[in-house]
Amino acid sequence: MPDDVTGAPRASAGMTAATGYSLAVDIGGTFTDVVLRHADGRATTDKTLTTHRNLLEGFFRAVDLALGKTGVGPEAVTEVTVHATTLVTNAVIERRGPPTALLATKGFRDILSIRNEHRYDMFDPQIEFPDPLVSDSLVYTLDERMLATGAVEKPVDAAEAAAVARRMAADGVKAVGICLLNAYRNGANERAARDAILAAVPGMEVTLSSEVSPQIREYPRASTTVMNAYTQPIVAPYLAALSAELVRRGFPNRPLIMLSNGGVVGTSVAGAFPVRMIESGPAAGALAASYFAEVLQLPRLLSFDMGGTTAKACMIDAGKPLVAGEFEVDRRYRFKPGSGFPITIPAVDMIEIGAGGGSIARVDNLGLLKVGPRSAGSEPGPVCYGRGGTEPTVTDSDVVLGLLDADRFLGGDMKLDKAGAEAALGRLGGKLGTDAVATARGVFEVVCEQMAGAARAHATDRGIDWRGLPMLAFGGAGPVHACRVAELLECRHLVFPPMASVLSAFGTLVSPVRLDLVRSALSPLASLDWDAVRALVGGMADEGRAALAEAGVAAADATLELGVDCRYRGQQNEVTTDLPLAVLEGGDAAALREAFESAYEALYGIRLPDVPVEVVTWRLAARGPLPVANPSPIAGGAPASPRTHRPVAVEPGVPMVPVYDRASIAVGQSIEGPVIIEERETTLVVLRGWTASVHPTGAVIAERVA
Amino acid sequence: MNDQLDGIALEIQWSNLIATVTEQARALQRIAFSPIVREAGDLATALFDRRGRMVAQAVTGTPGHINSLGAAGQHFVRAFPPDSLSPGDVLITNDPWLSAGHFFDITVMTPVFRGGRCIGFFGSTIHHTDIGGYGVGAGARDVHEEGLWIPLAKLYEKGVANALLFDIIRRNVRTPDHVAGDLAAQVAAGRVGAERLNALCDRTGFDDIEALADAIIGRSEQATRESIRKLTPGTYHGESIFDVPGGQKITLKAAVTVDAEAGELIIDFAGSSPEAPIGINVVLNYTAAYANFAVRACLDPDLPNNYGSLFPVKVRAPEGSIVNCRYPAPVNARHVVGMYVPFPVLKALHQVMPDRVLAEGSGAVWTIQIQGKDDEGQPFTSSMFNYSGGTGARRGKPGLSATCYPTGVAAVPVEVLEAAMPIVFTRKELRRGSGGAGRMPGGDGQVIGYRMRTRDPWLLNVVASRTDLGPEGLEGGADGMPGRFLVNGKPVNEARKMAMAATDEVLMETPGGGGYGRA
Repeated sequence: MPDDVTGAPRASAGMTAATGYSLAVDIGGTFTDVVLRHADGRATTDKTLTTHRNLLEGFFRAVDLALGKTGVGPEAVTEVTVHATTLVTNAVIERRGPPTALLATKGFRDILSIRNEHRYDMFDPQIEFPDPLVSDSLVYTLDERMLATGAVEKPVDAAEAAAVARRMAADGVKAVGICLLNAYRNGANERAARDAILAAVPGMEVTLSSEVSPQIREYPRASTTVMNAYTQPIVAPYLAALSAELVRRGFPNRPLIMLSNGGVVGTSVAGAFPVRMIESGPAAGALAASYFAEVLQLPRLLSFDMGGTTAKACMIDAGKPLVAGEFEVDRRYRFKPGSGFPITIPAVDMIEIGAGGGSIARVDNLGLLKVGPRSAGSEPGPVCYGRGGTEPTVTDSDVVLGLLDADRFLGGDMKLDKAGAEAALGRLGGKLGTDAVATARGVFEVVCEQMAGAARAHATDRGIDWRGLPMLAFGGAGPVHACRVAELLECRHLVFPPMASVLSAFGTLVSPVRLDLVRSALSPLASLDWDAVRALVGGMADEGRAALAEAGVAAADATLELGVDCRYRGQQNEVTTDLPLAVLEGGDAAALREAFESAYEALYGIRLPDVPVEVVTWRLAARGPLPVANPSPIAGGAPASPRTHRPVAVEPGVPMVPVYDRASIAVGQSIEGPVIIEERETTLVVLRGWTASVHPTGAVIAERVA
Repeated sequence: MNDQLDGIALEIQWSNLIATVTEQARALQRIAFSPIVREAGDLATALFDRRGRMVAQAVTGTPGHINSLGAAGQHFVRAFPPDSLSPGDVLITNDPWLSAGHFFDITVMTPVFRGGRCIGFFGSTIHHTDIGGYGVGAGARDVHEEGLWIPLAKLYEKGVANALLFDIIRRNVRTPDHVAGDLAAQVAAGRVGAERLNALCDRTGFDDIEALADAIIGRSEQATRESIRKLTPGTYHGESIFDVPGGQKITLKAAVTVDAEAGELIIDFAGSSPEAPIGINVVLNYTAAYANFAVRACLDPDLPNNYGSLFPVKVRAPEGSIVNCRYPAPVNARHVVGMYVPFPVLKALHQVMPDRVLAEGSGAVWTIQIQGKDDEGQPFTSSMFNYSGGTGARRGKPGLSATCYPTGVAAVPVEVLEAAMPIVFTRKELRRGSGGAGRMPGGDGQVIGYRMRTRDPWLLNVVASRTDLGPEGLEGGADGMPGRFLVNGKPVNEARKMAMAATDEVLMETPGGGGYGRA
């Protein structure tokens, strides 16, 4: 599936003047995408099927395709080699990890099954929870106790720990997550336990909660710790094999690995904390969005990615994606929030809803048209795929409305059954008292409203006014629906980036080296021990700098960004705010309070001046230089004319709408909507009242004129 | 306009309304001082039309609050007709009989104006940190001992705060900053909710929400009636017996009549225990809230919750019974009885919908509050925290261990409590085998042990229930084990605060859920 794109701008690693190639590989659930980019902005992209049995096979197949097409060898990849992969997520979802143990404080062995005692859906008496990654028989305890003050009430008995380690080994355990109470405050007992275990059973893989996620609240910390332990035996050998194979083939650099926080790090940090690699593909997509935010000088924008089963939205603020401290993996029950595992690691803050091209439309028992979250997936897929699907989906509606061309789907590789889609929508319409086309229009409206609603909630929850935010749309179904979603969000500026089909791989090339570190240290602000905090943050800074050095960032290029989670005393929900390092150096409590309160006010519209403030958690982002945006413009060509016209039924009049090939449109050419612009993997729909033009970066930009 | 609101347009507007109220509920939950609100989601937000009918309600919250708030709307409108209100007015009450059943829950209603006319109300109820009086627990002898009673009143008039009322509130509670902070959050939520509703009207070109409200309420009522009509007509009986702090046994009887012709369900609690002398009495609003909750979850969990869907379910209880108490009965810990209200209803519904119900579970969560002195001799009062037992088994699935039902409460993490006060937990793990055996076993309860790091005596206030009678199994499933509440290894059964010695150790074993079907 060749797709040569020129003019995509070059993002230099920033440390030296870039002259050679950089390489990015993103392994997703279906496809492995590759981007090979020269310093001058020329890029080659390709896709190959993901090889689940041995991911590296697909990795190097994709790399060979890109190198071959460009006509260069591995030695030309003198810049970076960056990798994002779904390996960790899949290991969890498919439960492919080895026998993994949890070591807990005596009396607290059931942390993983008690959770937080909450029913995530109050009104559904049939809810279920996923089985923990660690089976009940592989939970072990130690008679030790750390107090919340950080004082050791009962130290670890090395003999007891050694005996536990031998039992684990006898039970077949390969990896253990140690999560002892209050270890977020002081990890001494966890470290003592690790020493004793490794002395008794040297081959055991050990994860400490005080290292992977030293944050207060035992359940999410334990959940994160065992997920790290569970995936480490898979990820560490994978990364080692990847590095070795790159060397063997003559690639000059060791790879950088994409993390879920939107940064890249070297393999030793990634291998020690594989849980941080979860969701690295979507994070890379958000980084690509940030890149275009910067190039197009839109510091705040909403990134919107709609695929086959879900849609994701992410807020880019000040040119960076928002990063959150907690998310959920593997929602098992009807895709509901709360039905998966909580993970407390820094991750690009995204909202994901069950609305994609495969989402099934139905009429509920109140006579309302509902779309999703049930999806036809890719098997059997939408009715129009002709693989046995009988329930109409969003894609079927798009075909019936004329938004998608049944004869040119995937460049014509896959013929769609429009008549079948129309019949299915007609049956559904019968329940609404209307015809197939009106029903399809309804499905289009409802799914766009759902996505707009999710984006509104996501923005409002973060204290951001969503009205009029520029949007960037990608994913197979994103550009089809983005214009309508944009209207619902009062947006007037919509970007369709180039290389949309390999955008995540591209995103890894514009991601900075970055490691986020987090430490809980609860204290009233008034009595904060600033020396202790400076020591704590100093330790985090050392860890961050070491990770940056491993990824090739010169010490002088490293920047540290401090953040702090605070709350009013008596509340339990913290607000994260950025803090200048000078506040820490100067011990400026008034400045810290002001930073917290202004963030709080932005979120909730009030301040509470009479209430004392507590500091809960310190955050430090260690990052390398931001990749330099260095667009090399595409020259303007002759204005293209439409390839064809077809009726599009989004508007009741069903006007004939011009259809262009994306590749044919010249830079600077301006086309009034309604217009359809087709590329191989997606279709750009620009509605009436909008004008589309091609930016020198290759992005198509639609602006609302009416 | 009704013609335009077909199944497509209505779906879109309706989802927008629900999103608007949910947004405000989430914001309130995040900033509440009251731990039971933020950890447990003990709050409700809803939108009302001019007639005080609940049109849309947030998807978060606990059943007790959600449906009680729905009932409060009509009382507000009766006292303050919409055309008598001005922009900037904000209404308030915590009257147990008009809203959520005890003083801790304060309801704030903000009228929404469009073109100078009141088109509806945005309402919220949250459980506040303190309301003066007896404090947390069931120990008061009448409602007046339980704290400050705020009648239906204006908290703001034309944008000006009612200074006297604020002053009275601040002087009558132990945590004035937190109560004022949470009230400010409720007022802010109302203001933002009103703005959002106006923005929605701008987008859709509506002048008001009358037609939308009629369509939502009409369809919800019709769908509820239709789902009731599918049931076999008749009157079905259920009974649940459980013990409360102090050892008294409470009986709740429910006669559920399916009137298939009218599409109505009538739930009558005749024969239930009379009012109790301690603060565990339940107002009818709150009883109806939990009875309705049980019915709705069984009929169809996807049914919306609003005036229309609540209307076909009629809840009755004799005046003076523990589930329809009269002034001046104490009501503070009404959750202890209220959270058992679903069980006799579920047992009755078992006879018509055996696939949908659960067996009896542990019922009310156990609540704890501690007062004492810390290492440095400084006095502290903990916030209230809670633990659950096991839920009853479903016909096709086991019960859930250490999970609350019917309320939606989350537990405060051990580490958060240990950081907040000098408590040290010695155990918190499943109480294995406490769920009743069965083809589908009940969920297990848990064992929770703790002591204090202190040199001083301390006070312990535990509201435990089902320490004598375990939850019953269904269709031959075994009963869950009753709970146990021990101090220094000896069982206690006390409705009031207990004086503890510095070194006393507490052990709580919460009940397991009942099994379903013979093992």
